[in-house]
This record gives sequence, C-alpha cells and structure tokens, in this order.
Amino acid sequence: MSDHAALGVFLILTLVFPVAAMAAAWLFRVKSAPTREKLLPYECGVDPKGSGWMRFRVNYFLYALVFLVFDIETIFLYPWAVKFQSLGLFAFVEMIVFIAILALGLWYAWKEGALQWY
Amino acid sequence: MMYYQLLGPEITVAVLGLLVLAGSLLLPSHGKNALGYLTTIGLAAVLLAVILNFSREAIFFAGVYQIDMYANFFRLLFLSAALLIMLMSSRYTGLFGERKSEWFSFMLFATLGMMIMVAAGDLIMVYVGLELMTISFYILTAYLLNDRWSAEAGLKYLLIGAMSSAVLLFGMSLIYACSGSTVFTEIYQALLAGSERPALLAGIVMMMAGLGFKISVVPFHMWTPDIYQGAPTPVTAYLAVASKAAGFAVLVRILLIAFPPTSLDWKLILAVLAALTIIIGNLTALPQTNVKRMLAYSSIAQAGYILVGLVAANTYGLKGVLFYAMTYVFANVAAFAVTAVVEVAEGNAELESFNGLGRRAPMPAAVMTICLLSLAGIPPMAGFAGKLYLFSGAIQGGYLWLAFIGLLMSMISVYYYLHVAKAMYIGISSREDRVLLPVPVRIALWICLLGTILMGVYPGPLSELTELAVQLFSAV
Repeated sequence: MSDHAALGVFLILTLVFPVAAMAAAWLFRVKSAPTREKLLPYECGVDPKGSGWMRFRVNYFLYALVFLVFDIETIFLYPWAVKFQSLGLFAFVEMIVFIAILALGLWYAWKEGALQWY
Repeated sequence: MMYYQLLGPEITVAVLGLLVLAGSLLLPSHGKNALGYLTTIGLAAVLLAVILNFSREAIFFAGVYQIDMYANFFRLLFLSAALLIMLMSSRYTGLFGERKSEWFSFMLFATLGMMIMVAAGDLIMVYVGLELMTISFYILTAYLLNDRWSAEAGLKYLLIGAMSSAVLLFGMSLIYACSGSTVFTEIYQALLAGSERPALLAGIVMMMAGLGFKISVVPFHMWTPDIYQGAPTPVTAYLAVASKAAGFAVLVRILLIAFPPTSLDWKLILAVLAALTIIIGNLTALPQTNVKRMLAYSSIAQAGYILVGLVAANTYGLKGVLFYAMTYVFANVAAFAVTAVVEVAEGNAELESFNGLGRRAPMPAAVMTICLLSLAGIPPMAGFAGKLYLFSGAIQGGYLWLAFIGLLMSMISVYYYLHVAKAMYIGISSREDRVLLPVPVRIALWICLLGTILMGVYPGPLSELTELAVQLFSAV
C-alpha cells in the first residue's frame, strides 16, 4: 500500500511544483501595464525586423532522425558491453547482426543524401 | 533443444527485406523489376516452407515466442496475401517512380511484423511485431509522394496509430502490474489466484481499445475510410486484409489464453461492439460513391462479422474467425486488384470510372462481381461458408440477437456491392477501348477467383485446417 501512497505523493508534487514556480514568479514580478515595446519578441536586444516565420532547413530534421536511431543503438550497446564476458558467443553474434542491420540503414541514409549539409 | 529451423520463415523474410533494401541502392534504375521478382519468389519459397512445416510446433525463449498451428495458419494467410498483392501491384508500382524498389522491402518488413505478432507468446513480443507492422504501413500509406491524399492518409494514420499504440501499451503495462508477468499463460495463472481489480479491468479495456483500432471496430474506426481511400491501392488491399487478420489473431490469442471467458466476462462488451460495428459499417457504406471508400466501410462491417465469431468463443465461432479471415483475403484482394486496374486506367476510383467495364474488360468485371458477392455472403461463394460458421457459432453460444443483426445487415450490404456490378454492366461510358491487364494481375485475379469459388463450394480442407489451428484454445 505504501507504494501507491508514494505514487500519489509523487503525482501531487508533479501538479503542485509548476504551479508553485509560476506563482512565485508572479508574486515577485513588477505589475505594470504591458506597453507595445514590452510585448515585442526578444531578438538579442535589437529591434526585430521582418516576419517571425522563416523557412528552416530540413537537414536539421534529417540529422536529428539519424542521430536518434544511433543514440538508441548506443543505449542498447551499453548493457551488452557490461555483461559481455558472461554472455558468450550467442550474444556476440546477435549484437553483430543488430549492428549490421543498423549499418545497412546508415548506408542507405548516406547514399540517399540525408547526411548532406547544404 | 530449440528447433531454430522453425524460425526460418521469419529469418528469411527479414534477410530478404534487407537484401532488397541493399539492392535498391546498388542496382541501376532498370534493376527495380528484378527486386520485385526476387521478392515474389522469396515470398513463394517462404510460403512453401510454412506449408511443409505446418504441423510442427515449438515454444521458444521460455514462452515468449510460440510457433503452433494457429500461428502457422496466420503465417500462411499473410504470406499468400503478400504474394497476391505482389502479383496484383505489377503495373501500379510504376506510379511510385524512383522509390519503387524500397516499396518491396517495406512490404516484406510489414509481413515480418505480422508474422511476429501472430506467434508472440507475451505482451512485449506482440507490441514489437505490431509496431514493426504499423510503422511499415505508415510509410507505405504515404508512398504516392506527390499525391496530397496519400500524404494526408499517411499523416492521419501516423497520428491516430501512434495514439492508439500508446493506449495499447499503457493497457499492457497495467496488466503486467496486476499479474506480474507478460507471458500469456503466466498471466492466466497469476489471475486465477487473485481477484478482479479495477486496474486490471482498465488495462484490459485499454488493450481492447488499442487492438480495436487495428481491426477497426466501431468506436475506433474513424481512421479507416480516409486511410483506405488515400493510400495506394495495393497498400490498401494489404492493410484491409492482413493487418486486420493480424489484429484479430492477437486479440483472439490474448483474450482466450490470458483472460479466458471462464475467468473474466468480456463477451457482452465485445458483442455490443460487434453489433455497432456491423450496423454502422454497413449503413455508412450505402451512400458512398468512391469504390475504395465503399470497400473501406465494408471492411469495417466485415470486422464486425469476424468479431461475432470471437464473441461466441466456441469451436464454430473460432473456426469461423479463421475461415472468414482466409476467404476475406481472396475476395478483398480481387476487389482491390480490379480497383487498381481501373485507377491506373482512369486516374481515380470513383463509381463512374467503373462504367462499362463489363464490355471493356470482361474478366476483371466478372471476378469483381463474384468477389463482391462473396463479401456479401451469397451462397456458392466462400463468404457464405464463412458467415455460416460465424453465425452458427453465435447462435450456439446463445447470441441469437447478434446473429440476427449480422444476417439483416448482410442482406443490406448486397445493395452497395451490387452498385459496382450495376455500374460495370449497365453503366455507359464514353470510352470503348479495351482495358489491358498485365499478366501478373491476371494470374492474381484467377487465383482469387478460384480460391473464392472453391472454398465456397468445397470448404472441407480449409475447415479441417482451421479445426487444427483452434485446437490450441480447446486445451485451455
């Protein structure tokens, strides 16, 4: 029963914490009326020029995708590396197969130009 | 010692998929057809291997992966569906342009996902197979890269599918929390001892919701029309037939092994869902003018009929589920094959495009009519035998009202199926040229026609096969 109580306390804390943070910020803020200059978006101190909507490169997204896949692969590699001695040949071959499948994916992404930055 | 050669089909399909992916990078652009032939031959070889090893059973990795005749039946279903789709898509894949060769590898990965799902013995394995299949289908649905309907279908499928996968996984984690194990047989043992807890019921309901999305029963069916209409027609056919069968296979296995009706009574809720699905699926199909959309709504209704068999949960009902899933493959693939031919010839799949097809392409028109009548459940065709099993099981199980609703709605469904036949034979079109079919499409149509008629006239062999497959559940 105490596990569920801990979960309940955790839930209440999760709900209370952001509310408390924002309430504290509101308490200590200067409460004056917002003028036009105060509502401008922040752009490193200079006046914003032009529209805020900008076309950004899709390369960022493609790099993030490929990175994510290999990051998860790394996460799988760590426990295998830790227990490598006791797992034997079967686990070694299995991990080689796993890395080979992902290497095929990397080759595909490379050849199709997903990693090209232009 | 485990018989790893029984895992040969999955390994072969995986290696084939990776080979096709590598081949798509290495081969020049006119090598793409070679990859199609390689895929088809590979799938035929794996199908042969599964047929030869049909009755060999084994349990791998302490109950996590279970190859039994039930799993083998569904592997047969998926592989034959994939083979038929490969045959019928032979001209349609020209629309994919540069990305044609990767399409074959995604179809192979989807098949692999389904085979894993169906042989899974625990919740995690089900989820792994489900996600492999579903993500492959997200990509396949959006495969017509320049068509906004395809892109819209892919995005909708991704968003709704991801959310229902999340619900499914949450339900599975609640079941794990209440029973202490993810293996189905161990869940059953753990729940025999304990009492029903609200968390367990919530978990089961969420799991039914997640799987209900896959089989498109009524509260979770809204994705079906848009995705079926927007996706490329071979992908729609595979989705309608194999993805639905895989969802049903998993649902039947989980509900009958982990939560058998003796320990937990889920029959009433599934009966109500089945009734709603049959009614809403058939009624919304009536006004449709796009044939792909009509087939999508009709497949919602067919899912309702199959669910009736699960509700009955006796031998007849379960045999009906498997029998109907298999006959559904042949009838539906033929219907979508003819739709694909019309779509390539005319540019869209509206009812007007089917006008005069009886004169312009007599064989496809005849096959389409026969297969639509099979879906409606008219006697000499296989759909009738399937519905006979399903509704007999329901009546034997005491669900007379459900069988009555099913029969009534089957009668109504004949109307919208015959709409297409009316357009083909009585409709007048301005074009008089013959529609030529490539040879693989013809072969696929002949196989589907023979399958539909033979299984309807002589259901014995398939019936015995399904009897063997559902022996798994009579032992529980």
